[in-house]
This record gives sequence, C-alpha cells and structure tokens, in this order.
Amino acid sequence: MKHIRVASAVIVLTCVTAPLHAQLTYERLLKAEQDPGNWLTYSGNYRSWRYSPLNEVTRDNARKLKLKWVYQMQTTHTVETTPLVADGVMYFTEPPSNVVAVDAATGRQFWRYRRVMPKKVNACCGQVNRGIALLGDRVFVGTVDAHLVALDAKTGAVLWDIEVADYRTGHSITVAPLIVKDMVICGISGGEYGIRGFLDAYDVASGKRRWRYWTIPAPGEPGSQTWPGDSWKTGGAPTWVTGSFDPEQNLIIWGTGNPSPDWNGDSRKGDNLYSDSAIALDVDTGKLKWYFQHVPHDVHDWDSVQVPVLVDDEFLGRPRKLIYWAHRNAFYYVLDRETGQFLLGKPFATQTWAKGLDEKGRPIRLPNIDPSLEGTYVWPGVQGATNWFSPSYSPLTKLLYVSVWENQGLYRKGEQEYSPGNRYIGSVPMIDLPDDPGHGAIRALNPKTGDRLWEYKLQTKPWAGVLSTAGQLVFGGSDEGHVFALDATNGKEIWRQNLGGIIRTNPISYQSQGKQVIAIAAGNSMFTFELGD
Amino acid sequence: MVKRIRFRVFVAMGVAGLTWVALTPAGATPQAEEITATRNPLTSPSDVAAGAKTFRGHCAPCHGVNGEGGRGPNLASGVFFHGSSDVDLLNNISEGIQGTEMPGLFYSPDRVWQIVAFIRSLNAGKQAKPTADVAQGESLFKSKGCHQCHRVSGEGGRLGPDLSDIGRTRSAEHLRAALLDPQADVRQRYWVVSFRDASGTKQEGFLMNEDSYTVQFIDMSQRLHSLTKSGLKDYKVEKTSRMPSFKDSLSSTELEQLVAYLSSLRPKGGAQ
Repeated sequence: MKHIRVASAVIVLTCVTAPLHAQLTYERLLKAEQDPGNWLTYSGNYRSWRYSPLNEVTRDNARKLKLKWVYQMQTTHTVETTPLVADGVMYFTEPPSNVVAVDAATGRQFWRYRRVMPKKVNACCGQVNRGIALLGDRVFVGTVDAHLVALDAKTGAVLWDIEVADYRTGHSITVAPLIVKDMVICGISGGEYGIRGFLDAYDVASGKRRWRYWTIPAPGEPGSQTWPGDSWKTGGAPTWVTGSFDPEQNLIIWGTGNPSPDWNGDSRKGDNLYSDSAIALDVDTGKLKWYFQHVPHDVHDWDSVQVPVLVDDEFLGRPRKLIYWAHRNAFYYVLDRETGQFLLGKPFATQTWAKGLDEKGRPIRLPNIDPSLEGTYVWPGVQGATNWFSPSYSPLTKLLYVSVWENQGLYRKGEQEYSPGNRYIGSVPMIDLPDDPGHGAIRALNPKTGDRLWEYKLQTKPWAGVLSTAGQLVFGGSDEGHVFALDATNGKEIWRQNLGGIIRTNPISYQSQGKQVIAIAAGNSMFTFELGD
Repeated sequence: MVKRIRFRVFVAMGVAGLTWVALTPAGATPQAEEITATRNPLTSPSDVAAGAKTFRGHCAPCHGVNGEGGRGPNLASGVFFHGSSDVDLLNNISEGIQGTEMPGLFYSPDRVWQIVAFIRSLNAGKQAKPTADVAQGESLFKSKGCHQCHRVSGEGGRLGPDLSDIGRTRSAEHLRAALLDPQADVRQRYWVVSFRDASGTKQEGFLMNEDSYTVQFIDMSQRLHSLTKSGLKDYKVEKTSRMPSFKDSLSSTELEQLVAYLSSLRPKGGAQ
C-alpha cells in the first residue's frame, strides 16, 4: 500500500506540471497502469481491469466526495460514453457521434466536434456512442452512420473521415475504438439488421484499412459449415463493445454479438460461428488464433459483448494467462487465453435455460426454452444477466465486480424475411415484464471459482459498469440515477449521490490538480467528484 | 385535400411497388432523394397480410394483437391523436412520437406502408362504437362509486387511474374486461405498498415511484409521501388491484352502459 502512495505523490507532481500538449505514445498506452493520473483507454488498461491505482479516496474518506464540475451535453440521446483523460484534457462523446474536449480540472470546453448526420440512421437501440480512442495528437471516433473519423486532439478539426460500411444497410458504429501500435481497432454494430459482422484495423495516420476479420466465415472457410445456404451473408455477429489486448501474445481478444435474426433461428440452423464468441486475433494480420463460442445457435440475443478481463494467475495448479468473462447468458467463464480452452463455468445469476456446461464449455440446453409464437419465459431476459457495461478486476482484492440483472424475459418468435436496412430480428420479446420487472445488483465474484462473495442489491437493473480503485472502493451507478461507492471487500455502501438522471456508462478515475477525481456521465451530463475539505 | 408532405428516403420504389432498390452504389456518399407521397400505395390484401405479420411481431406487445390497445393506445378505433392521414401514420411509425413511449420502427417505407394498410383494415367497421345509453352509464359511474377513486375532468378521486380520456386509449373490449376482472391487468402505478413505520403504525398507499433507497406513494387519504426505506418494517408491495370486480353487481345492460360512457370520454381540445 505504501509504495502506491509514494507513486501517487510522484504522479501528482507530474500532472501539475504536465503541459496540455504532451504526446500520447503507444508506449504510454502499454504502460497505462503506471500512469494512473490519466485514463488512456476505454477500460483503463489493455487488460481491461477498469481499475485505478489511485488511492487518495478511500473507504475512510469517500463520504466526503463532493461535486467538482458538471458538463451538460447538447443532446437528447442516451449517454453511454466513457471519458478518456490525457494530460489535463478530458475527451468524451456526445451522442449520436459528437466529440467534446474539456479541461479535466474545470470542465470548460476546448472544442466540440459536431457530426452532421443523415436524417435517418438505423441503430437498433438508440443513437449512442461509448467513447473515443487516443493516440499522439489524434482522437478517433466511430459514428452512428458507420464512419471512422480522426480529429486533431487540440482543435477537433477533421484529419480523415472514412466510410467503414454503408449505414443504409443497418451498419453503425457505437463502440469505442481501441488503439494498438499504429492501428485503430474498430468494431461494427448492426446485429438487428442482418449485417455480416467484422472487426477492422485502420492506419492511424491515413485511415487506410490494414485488415478486416469477418466474424462469419464465407463458404469454404473453417466454420462456414455452421451456416446453411446464404444465411452467412446476413448472420449478424457484430463487434460493438471494446475488447482487450494481450501484448505478450500480440492478440486482440474481442467479443462478438448475436446471430441474425435474433429470435428466430430457423433460417440459420447450426452453431453459427463465430457469433456469441470470444475471438482472439493476431493484431498484425487479423488472423484468427482461437475462438470460444459461449452460445452456439443463439435464439435469445445473448451477445458475447462483455469486456474480456485478462489476468495472469495460477489456475488448476499452474500459472496461466486467463480471461474472466461474466456473460450475458448468466454463466461466468474462465478461459485460457493462450488457447481459448474452457476452464470453468458457473452461473452468477438466475438462469433457466441450461442444465449446465459440458467439459468443453458448451451449454447443455434444457427443453422448451426457445422463443415460441405464444411466448416462452426464460431467465435471464433479453438484456441478459449482464451486458455491455464494464466489469472491474481489482488486483488488491483479486475479486471480479459485475453489474448484474436478475430478470426473466418473454421470448416470442415471429416470421422474418431479410430486406436491406430493415430490422431482421424475428419478432420482439418483452424486455421488461410489467408484473415482474426483476431487480439488479453489484456482485463480487471470486474469479477462480465463480462463487459470489457479496452483493449490493438494487431496486432496478443497472446499465452502468463498475470501477475498482486502490482505495478499496467500487464505484457504480444505477438507472435510478445514483452514483455510489462501495467497500470493495464487503459491498457495504460508503457514499451515494443522486444525479437525477439514468446512468448508462462506465466510471473512470483520474488525477487533476493533485487530487483524485471520479468521473461518470448521468442523464445528459458528465459529472466529476473529488474529496471536499 | 390531404396535405402533401415531403419526406426523405434513400431508396426508390421499384416498379412493382414492393421492391426497394438502393440508388447509391456501395461506398459512395449517401445522397438522400426526396420523394413525395400522400396516400398509402400499398393496400392490397397481400400488403395487409404482410403488415399484419410485422404488426404482430413488433407492435402487438403494446397495441394488442388486433390493435385493441394495451400499454399503447387502441389503433382499431380509427381515431388517432397524432395525425390520422396515411403519411401521418407512416411518419409516426417510422420516427416514433416524441413525448410518448412510441419508438420509431426503423423499417423502410414499404414495410411501414404495409403496417398502415393493416391498421386501416382494423378500422374498417370492425370496432363499432358502443350503442348503449351513455347518460345511463354516467349515472352508474357515480351511483356505483367509481368516482370515489377515479377522476373525470377534474372531479373525483385520485387513487385509481384518471379516466378523462380513457375512451381514446382503451377499446370497449378492454374496458369491459377491466370492469369484470380488474386483476387481469394491474399497472405498476397501482400496486399497493404497505409497511410499518418507526412507531409501528401501519401505512399503505399506491406506489408512485421507488428506487433502491426510497419510496414515493399516495396514501388512501390522497396525501403524498416520500420515505427512506431503511427505517420501514414489513415492507411489502402487492401487485394486485384494489378495484372491485363488477361481475356480480352490474347487469349486462348496465355493464354496456358503463362501457359506453367510458368509451365516450375523450380529451378536450386538440386534434380528435
């Protein structure tokens, strides 16, 4: 603990004197954990721990947290952005696809990039955006009309703007890109429009595409036998949540989304690879090294779009490179990230669809769980037991923290024909049951066993991720509009503030003017907090 | 004359009126083309059938399988409150309606026109207006004590739903069912919360809002309360209605009269 405090003191001096135009190099991204005064990537580091080594705010003083500043966005869309902070500047997106740069100390705006959108863009679940990526003096943002844009980090001027895919066929970009080396790794949305999913890498300087990995194989390629007829062309498997990077193996590990159409699998009988999977790609070539499919032939819309948490630790008697993955389907998984081998699987929330997982991690489905004309009740519901919002791993407690939904859904099956740009989902399930809306919780799991250590119960189901800190705290938010700090060891609430608007994003922590700051968006605003006197 | 409304789409209708073809080659900057329309061009029986499929998959959860209404308004009555022309319906379905729970459907116009065709088919005389005596129904509304809990045009109680425009949002069938079996569809707003406070006194009321830490409710004396849950004992939320069934207390004639009165309740002013 002591050495962390010393490290913080050094960082304080660094931040106070750091110029606002420091270069953000790839080496700094690789060593983000040693730079806790900033928050440089979507999940805070390449291992996606969403953990801050800052320890000024602790269990003893967190109740003194006070508002630092608020930035009110010019939007009426749902805010899902995770801010990044680099050398005194905070960058975040305003939905649908605008970008703002503000002074991280005051919230005062430096610049704002406003994207002019086509009148009608098909995005399944709102015109949202989850954040930007930074490298050098550039900001990278994906847009709801499926472009990738590079902006000047000092002025917001457009440096390049390329079309990733045609928005008129249901493609959109909502994911925060990930920088690796000199590439922007960017996923795609559109699993409700029958797109063929992919993950792309673009040159940061020119915007030229380096590679594209199709998440659905073409005929003749490995895995293509899992798609009958032409169903592979419209099979979905998008890549709409930011993945992780393993520098030692040179591997990107990314989750893929649901097969299309979502709730009627008749036209796509088979496992539908590589939908609902973890995929590991060589970052230089985009070639697949391994995959693990969580939900073969999904008919419940249980995307594998959770952020993969990469941890090196002993498991089953030997040191391993692991992935911790609490999935939308209500099972918690441990995978070997060198091979994709399934090591452990266990429910972390109520589920009624599988008897369990077999020795390879394949679900053993129960009968009568598929969507039906009259509707089929299944736990978890359509939005799953967790979703895109981030988990957090603390190296201090060695616990995995997850925002959890306890809910069931009514799954209806309908007829569906593909037509470009139209929804391709096969009916609409009931996401919220009026008589049984379910509830939410923040849960701490022992990641090596999947056992629950504690729970902080919420009346409603949270759409906000969690952040753990070296102050032994877990920060989270609720749809009720509360941001809260919990004791990371036992889940006891230490601090809570009503922000008056839904929280559908992830918290971060950074340092400003020598003090630790917690930032999270709520309603249409970005809020920051620091310790009061 | 129907006002000509211009709307922009990125596709043009094929000759057969069923196929929509992208105008712009892939990779080019999308160029929206303006087209005009005043009336639904897709009204054949096959369009109605196709619209029914889409409607039942996407709209029925709120509007009912036959448009009879539920969480969303009755669409079978032929009365629309956000514009009733074909183009109004197309725009409302495509874009959603601001300030309501109605989302946009994100389908191309041909598919939405088919939904409009289906909705129009529901309007074609199938939902006949109740013919029973409205005045008698109004009299029953008071004599049976409905007004003690329900408010109409600013008069009556506040414990049950305000019924001032219930005829807009509920079909006669739905109203009849609600009178006979109130437990069949109880909205969260009318769940009953009960508990004992710090002094041990039992309190109850209709749940208005609730989060992880607090509860807001209106008690049976129509007083508003907002309390912290942590100090409450035996906290319970009942998902049942306090409204009595009128199955045995109304004759069939009286039931139809009361339904006729409720169906006649419409908003004052604005587009009807």
